[in-house]
Amino acid sequence: MGVTFPPEKRLFLSQVLDEVLDGLYGYAMVLSRDRTEAEDLVQETCVRAVQAIESLQPASNVKSWLFTILRNIWLNQLRQRRAAPKIVELDVDESTAELAVETSKDPHALYVSKVEREQVREAIQQLSKGFREIIVLREYGELSYQEIANVLGCPAGTVMSRLGRARSKLRSLLSDSLRTPDRRAKGGAE
Amino acid sequence: MSRCEDRTSDILLYIDNALTGQKLEDFRAHLAVCSNCREHLEEELALSSLLREARPLYLAPRALRARVAAAATEQDSGFSPASDRSRKTRMQNLTRWSRDVIQPAFSWKPLAVMTLVLVLGLVFIPGAVERVRATNYVEAATEIHRSYLDGALPLQCRSHSPEVVTAWFAGKTPFHFQLPASQFVPNGKAVYWLTGARLVSYKGSPAALVAYETPSEKISLLVASSKSAIVAGGEEVRSGGLTFHYRSGTNSEVITWTNHGLAYALVASLVGSPQHSCLVCHQNMADQNLVEH
Repeated sequence: MGVTFPPEKRLFLSQVLDEVLDGLYGYAMVLSRDRTEAEDLVQETCVRAVQAIESLQPASNVKSWLFTILRNIWLNQLRQRRAAPKIVELDVDESTAELAVETSKDPHALYVSKVEREQVREAIQQLSKGFREIIVLREYGELSYQEIANVLGCPAGTVMSRLGRARSKLRSLLSDSLRTPDRRAKGGAE
Repeated sequence: MSRCEDRTSDILLYIDNALTGQKLEDFRAHLAVCSNCREHLEEELALSSLLREARPLYLAPRALRARVAAAATEQDSGFSPASDRSRKTRMQNLTRWSRDVIQPAFSWKPLAVMTLVLVLGLVFIPGAVERVRATNYVEAATEIHRSYLDGALPLQCRSHSPEVVTAWFAGKTPFHFQLPASQFVPNGKAVYWLTGARLVSYKGSPAALVAYETPSEKISLLVASSKSAIVAGGEEVRSGGLTFHYRSGTNSEVITWTNHGLAYALVASLVGSPQHSCLVCHQNMADQNLVEH
């Protein structure tokens, strides 16, 4: 079911942006692998969205619309550069990456959480672009399969199968972190 | 590819609680006899758990969040004549509100609201201490309250606990504030209670919206930095060293005040008789002597 706009579309957009900003930023980080570029992507997405919000149909899904805008901006930039995206080593320093930290956890739990988050980030960055994108949209953008299909411009069935393969690969990469031994790691994936 | 490889989609849908009806029954029946799929399901559940624990994978920098909020606000005023018109209309409504105030004394009488105002005004413990002028705070608070009532601004944190809500706001707003640890309860009977909170945007910066309820009414409290929110006008009531400004409209009423660099706007669309007086509101409260008209 789509989102129905209240009378003040822009106020509503502002709220949605606020809610999905971490997800948008995470998606931008996965695409660009660069913090500055990711920030620029998100900000440009915001500007384009505000400019276009008045023409958006009330039944539109604002969340997937925002992710689609971000992806299109990124693809346009890639085309303009006529070059592969630059690969920048990800900064995994928690203080500069502004990772979320649950202050209510005890120090050991906090440490475990930090280590696991770093492992997950590293594993995701090792995935191919297509797998990386779909994992982040699903798990961290919290988009539905249909919303992901809208963003990527492919059928929902393709999203499901690609997500299954991406998760299989991710399980292999994270097998040490997973309590359940990954039997699929033996045979490899992708 | 084995037959069970075809179940990957079903397993993902099952984890998401998106498998329903006959497909769900079929899948459960298959799980009961297929150790391979049970093992696969366990692996997927373990992966999902690990991925969830890593949320959010990246946290948008605070500066970016501020820039995005600012961009939205600037575009709002700069690109939409229609928005300008609606803003003028709202300002005219506010002017009419002021003219239409006919109650000579403090006409916003219900005990719950006044109690809430005084408790919040006296007990909030803000951190920032700055005071800069701005406009339209009442207008924004009214608009946000209406959106909240319409369901367009669902609460992001639902709790009756002031401590939980205070903790939820930590780091989310450019200012620090703390809800009173417990609500004021005259005669041992709660006249309002906290229901939750969410973030909203005011003039491009994150602001706090705190929601309260009485047995018959929803009340919202907008908290923003007084760098961007001016509090003035309306009928003034001084209490506890603070000056409260209240405006009464046909559908909603707003009380605003500032304290230690923060601007507060309490909005409600009250129903019922407004025949009470301030002393009726405060006859059972220890602070009744604090109110000056």
